[in-house]
Amino acid sequence: MPTFAQFMRAPFARTNHFFETTKLGPYPIAWYVSGWRGGLLVLLAAILFPIFYDQTSIQPLLGDGIQVGIYVILALGLNVVVGYAGLLDLGYVAFFAIGEYVASFLTTGYIFSKLGQSPIIVLKSPMPFILIFPAAALFAGFIGVLFGAPTLRLRGDYLAIVTLGLGEIVPIFFQNVPWFGGNVGASVLYIPNIQLPSLVSSIVGFTTISLTPLLNKAGFYFLTLMMVVIVVLLTNSLRESSLGRAWIAIREDETAASAAGVNLVRTKLLAFAFGAAMGGLGGVLDGANSGSIVPTVFSFNTSITILIMIVLGGIGSLRGVILGAAILRLIDFTLLGQLNTFRQTSPLVTNIHGILHFLALPQFDFNQAKFLIYGLILLAMILLRPQGLLPDRRRQRELVGIGESAEAYSAVGLLEREEAGEGVSGTGSEDMTLFTGSGSDAQGREG
Amino acid sequence: MPETTIPALQMRTVTKAFGGLTAVDSVDLTVQPGQIFSIIGPNGAGKATVFNLITGIYQPTNGDILLQGQSLKGLTPDRVLRRGIARTFQNIRLFSNMTVMENILVGEHKTFPGDLISIIFHLPNYQSAEKHARTRALELLSFFGPKMVALKDEYAANLSYADRRRVEIARALGSNPKVLLLDEPTAGMNDAETAEAVGYITRMREQFNLTIVLIEHKLQVTMGISDRIAVLDYGKKIAEGLPEEIQRNEQVIEAYLGRKVVVE
Repeated sequence: MPTFAQFMRAPFARTNHFFETTKLGPYPIAWYVSGWRGGLLVLLAAILFPIFYDQTSIQPLLGDGIQVGIYVILALGLNVVVGYAGLLDLGYVAFFAIGEYVASFLTTGYIFSKLGQSPIIVLKSPMPFILIFPAAALFAGFIGVLFGAPTLRLRGDYLAIVTLGLGEIVPIFFQNVPWFGGNVGASVLYIPNIQLPSLVSSIVGFTTISLTPLLNKAGFYFLTLMMVVIVVLLTNSLRESSLGRAWIAIREDETAASAAGVNLVRTKLLAFAFGAAMGGLGGVLDGANSGSIVPTVFSFNTSITILIMIVLGGIGSLRGVILGAAILRLIDFTLLGQLNTFRQTSPLVTNIHGILHFLALPQFDFNQAKFLIYGLILLAMILLRPQGLLPDRRRQRELVGIGESAEAYSAVGLLEREEAGEGVSGTGSEDMTLFTGSGSDAQGREG
Repeated sequence: MPETTIPALQMRTVTKAFGGLTAVDSVDLTVQPGQIFSIIGPNGAGKATVFNLITGIYQPTNGDILLQGQSLKGLTPDRVLRRGIARTFQNIRLFSNMTVMENILVGEHKTFPGDLISIIFHLPNYQSAEKHARTRALELLSFFGPKMVALKDEYAANLSYADRRRVEIARALGSNPKVLLLDEPTAGMNDAETAEAVGYITRMREQFNLTIVLIEHKLQVTMGISDRIAVLDYGKKIAEGLPEEIQRNEQVIEAYLGRKVVVE
């Protein structure tokens, strides 16, 4: 009789086994989706999928795609802070907010010029739109350094509490200073169309690309996709660098890292600032996408949502975080709506004798139960698969503690590693996995 | 009175107090360049505190520590390392979930460019640093023999105890130090492994032009390889001299060596 945990893990093992053994041409399927090849496939799919739809039905899908892209950027940024450097940042939304307000300021010139008045649309672009991204990223990074410098000397829980405060203070600041539009939110971002050079337009058949998402989402979708690719390349490059190694070293043993020449404060600060900059980028995209700033978005819930995306996908794992962000965002957009439709129409709910009739409460709405669902996901992940859906191999070692089977890590790709993980945890002490995991973690820190 | 050589490492009346407890009490030490200098003493004598003071993990309550005549006051451990003092730990502190190669590369961290732009875009200066660091890491591993080179992609957690010691020393050597502090480099090793460790410690001094400061419990190790020995007891230096002198010193015999000498 398998335990509940075994039962839950079985599908992973089975799918992994399938991908490992089924050959597609000369290589098993796992080979094609591991490493950069998998990334390229996903990118190709993201580029090509709009051509399979007509203009009207594609618009909402592109809108979902934009939202997923924005949250992928945010999650990748937070992943550098939490996953790479091991700093628990609970106020990440602060940098998201800063990015939006910087973009609003630079594109509309509303702030300062309309002091004290109710927000109105001022279509004026003092700055080319494409320069807004580096500007917002740099400013958010700068604020990150400003807040990080005194706080990153703190360890563990204390840092989490301070960042929690930061996440509350920054949005409240924006909401209460009249320059920034107060509770109503701030100005509309103006995004110019891109005029194609005549040579290019003669080939592609149109002269302008509209980036204004309200009119046509395709241009903005590809802009978001481009930003996602840039952020993926940047974070990947950082991970595979001396700085990436220094972050892992700090996470494993601060004292030893310091004695090996890693400047603790500076190295942590770089992670914090880079994460903040990515938050700023996400902010620009979100502000431009929705056309206005809605201050209620900048809540603790958003910080936590981004954190859950990381935990769900796999802390420290690029592909995992992307998957986590996509899943959570799609739950938000489609699953909750589907559940509401189900609740209103299914006889299981509407019939007074239906087993789900308790859901027929008049005020009940699955959108309100979002965080209950997120919480259940988080709980399930921590209990059953703490390393995440597509784990980072190092984090998997730390969390699940596979010390002996080193050869499992040197092979082709992550799926194989995952498979090895299942293999080890399937050897009997199923319920103890969490405990042995934390045990070896503690041991690692002592040693 | 002009000095003929500047000491590689010098502690001047260094005191470290933790509240009411004086762990190190006005200790003077002078280590000349190229020496293997041992610090011995019973448990709790303050040997480890001395290492933590030198490497900047603790700051002295009083006194000063000089590397080649330059004060190390107020420096954090990473800055002390950049000045040229590397160390190992008594309870080997490798990064267990990093490979052998990655561990040594972290030891070479100071040779990499520090600015985010060079790192993030892997600019030529970063690439050449990475290339040099990897070559150097292999050189350091080959110092311990081809067996260690073969282990370069192994996770540190999977290594044998003696190999972890070697990797930790290689990581320390990665920073190309002038002074190397070894905290009980043969602790937990059997006789054969100890003999080998003694061998590579002396070879290391020649090959990397090092000054070595050693904390060691095994007397056959200290007496065999040290040029000079200092003895700590209750945080105070009770003796210093050549190995033979230490073996004859009444105070040392009383505090620490007594039974050992009788056995010999």
